[in-house]
Amino acid sequence: MMMQILSETNLFDFGLVGRQLPELLKYLPITLELALLSMLIGLAVGLLLAVIRMKRIPVLRQIAAFYISIIRGTPAIVQLYIAYFGIPMLLKYMNLHFGTDFDISAFPGFACAVFAMGFNESAYNAETIRAALSSVDRGQIEAASAVGMTYPQALRRIILPEAMTVALPGLGNSFIGLIKGTSLAFTCAVVEMTAQGKILGGRNYRYFEVYVSLAIIYWAVTIIVERILKFIEKRLELPEQIDKKAAAAEEPEKARTFTKEAKVRYDTNKKPEKAFSQ
Amino acid sequence: MIQIRNLKKRFRNNTVLDGIDLDINEGDVVGIIGPSGTGKSTLLRCIDLLETPEEGEITIDGAVYSLAEHDRRQTLALRRQTGMVFQRFNLFERKTALENVMEGLVTVQKKPKEEARMLAEGELKRVGMYDWSEHYPKHLSGGQQQRVAIARALAMKPKLLLLDEPTSALDPELVGEVLETIRDIASQGFTMMLVSHEMNFVRKVANRVIFLDGGKIVEDGTPREVFDRPKSQRAKDFFAKMHLLKQPEYTI
Repeated sequence: MMMQILSETNLFDFGLVGRQLPELLKYLPITLELALLSMLIGLAVGLLLAVIRMKRIPVLRQIAAFYISIIRGTPAIVQLYIAYFGIPMLLKYMNLHFGTDFDISAFPGFACAVFAMGFNESAYNAETIRAALSSVDRGQIEAASAVGMTYPQALRRIILPEAMTVALPGLGNSFIGLIKGTSLAFTCAVVEMTAQGKILGGRNYRYFEVYVSLAIIYWAVTIIVERILKFIEKRLELPEQIDKKAAAAEEPEKARTFTKEAKVRYDTNKKPEKAFSQ
Repeated sequence: MIQIRNLKKRFRNNTVLDGIDLDINEGDVVGIIGPSGTGKSTLLRCIDLLETPEEGEITIDGAVYSLAEHDRRQTLALRRQTGMVFQRFNLFERKTALENVMEGLVTVQKKPKEEARMLAEGELKRVGMYDWSEHYPKHLSGGQQQRVAIARALAMKPKLLLLDEPTSALDPELVGEVLETIRDIASQGFTMMLVSHEMNFVRKVANRVIFLDGGKIVEDGTPREVFDRPKSQRAKDFFAKMHLLKQPEYTI
C-alpha cells in the first residue's frame, strides 16, 4: 500500500537514492582525507596535551587546561568559521608586519578545515589519552627508570604501547565522530561528500533522496571503520597461552645446565671468603 | 667500594631517614631489617633516585653522586650503576620475559639486538627462566615473574643490586624459588642490598646485617652478631616479637 502510493505519486524516488551513490562516492576520498589528517593532528596534539597534564609541567599545564576548556566550550562549526576567516587574516597581518609574501587568496579552505577539526579533536583526545596513560601501573614506569631509561624512552617503549590498548576504543569512537563531523567542512568552502550532496539536491530539489544516499554511505563507512578497529584491538591482545620454549627440546643440555650447576653449588655451599652463618 | 653519606629523607614532618652513613665492600650482601615504617624501602629508593632525599650523597667506585641535587644526566648515570628488584616485580606487561630483559640492553646500553638477545638469554638461564623466554608476564606465576625481574636487573651489570622486599608479594609456596635464585646470585659475588622480612633467609644469605629503626642504623654487624647478640633494646624487642609470633598460639 505504502509502496504503491510512493511509486505512483513520485513522492519518493527510490531509484535516485541508488543512482546518486556513484556521484557522491567520488567525494568520499576527500571526506576520508579530511578525517584522517584531522585525526593525525588530533592524536599528536592530544598526546602532547596529555603528557603536559600528566607530568604537571608548570605554565604549560595551565595553558593546556585553558586550551582544552576553550575548544570543548565552543561549537565545532564556530571553530571552523574562525579558522576560515582567521587564518587568512593572520597571514595578511604577517604580510603587513613582517613583510612576508603569503598568497592569501590561494590559501586552501581544505587546510583551514583540517586545522580546525584537528585541534578540535585534540582537546577530546587529550582527555582519552591522559586517562589511558594514567591507567599504566606506576610500578612499570619506576622499573623503566630503574633500568636507566629516560622518560621519553619509557613513554615510547613501555607506557604508550600499554596505554594504546586502553585508549583505542575511545579514540576509535572519536574518529567515527570525526568522519561524520567532516560534513561541516563546507563552512570552509570544501566540497566533500555532504557538500556535493547539497549541490546534487539543488539541481533537482530531490534533497530527501540525496540525504538518504548520504546516510547510507556514512553508515557503511562507519561499519567498515568499526571492523578495522575490532581487528586492531584483536591484534593488540596478548596471546592467551604460549607453549613452553621449543628450544628446551632442541637443546636439552643447555636448558638443564643451570639446575645441574646450581645443585652442585648448593650441595657444596661453602664460600670461604664469605662465611654465611648457617 | 660504595659509600653512602648523610642520607636524610623526610615526608612532610615525618623523618624517615635520619642521616644514614654506610660503607659497602664489593661483593657484600647487606641485609636490611627492622620494624615497618623505618625507612628500609625508602633507603633503597633514595639510592636509585626513585625518591629524592633532602640530603645525602653516594660514591660508587670513586664517582660521587649527590642524591639530593641531580640533573637528568646525573640521575641516569647513577641509575645505570644500580639495579632494582621490586616487591611487585613490575615487569613490562606487554613484553615477553626475554624482551623484558633485553629492553635496558637495547634502549639504554644501545647494544645491537643480537648481542642483547644473547646476553638476555644468558641471564634468563641464570635464574632458570630460559624455557619461559617467549611468555608474557601474565602467563607467569609471581615467583617466575620475580625471577625474570632479577634477570632484568642483572642484565644491566649493576655495581649495586637493590632488592626491595623481593618475596613479600608472593604466595608462600613461591617464596622458595625466588630465595634460591637470590642466594645463587649472592654466591656469585654481586654486591647487594636486600630488604626482607624473611629473617632466616637474611641470616643465611647476607654477610652483613643492618637493623634500621627511626631512620637510623641501630645495629650493624655479621648476621650472628645482630641476630644472636643484639646490643640495642629496640632490636632485642623486635626479635622477641618475631619469636613470639612463631610460637604456637597455645600449649596444653
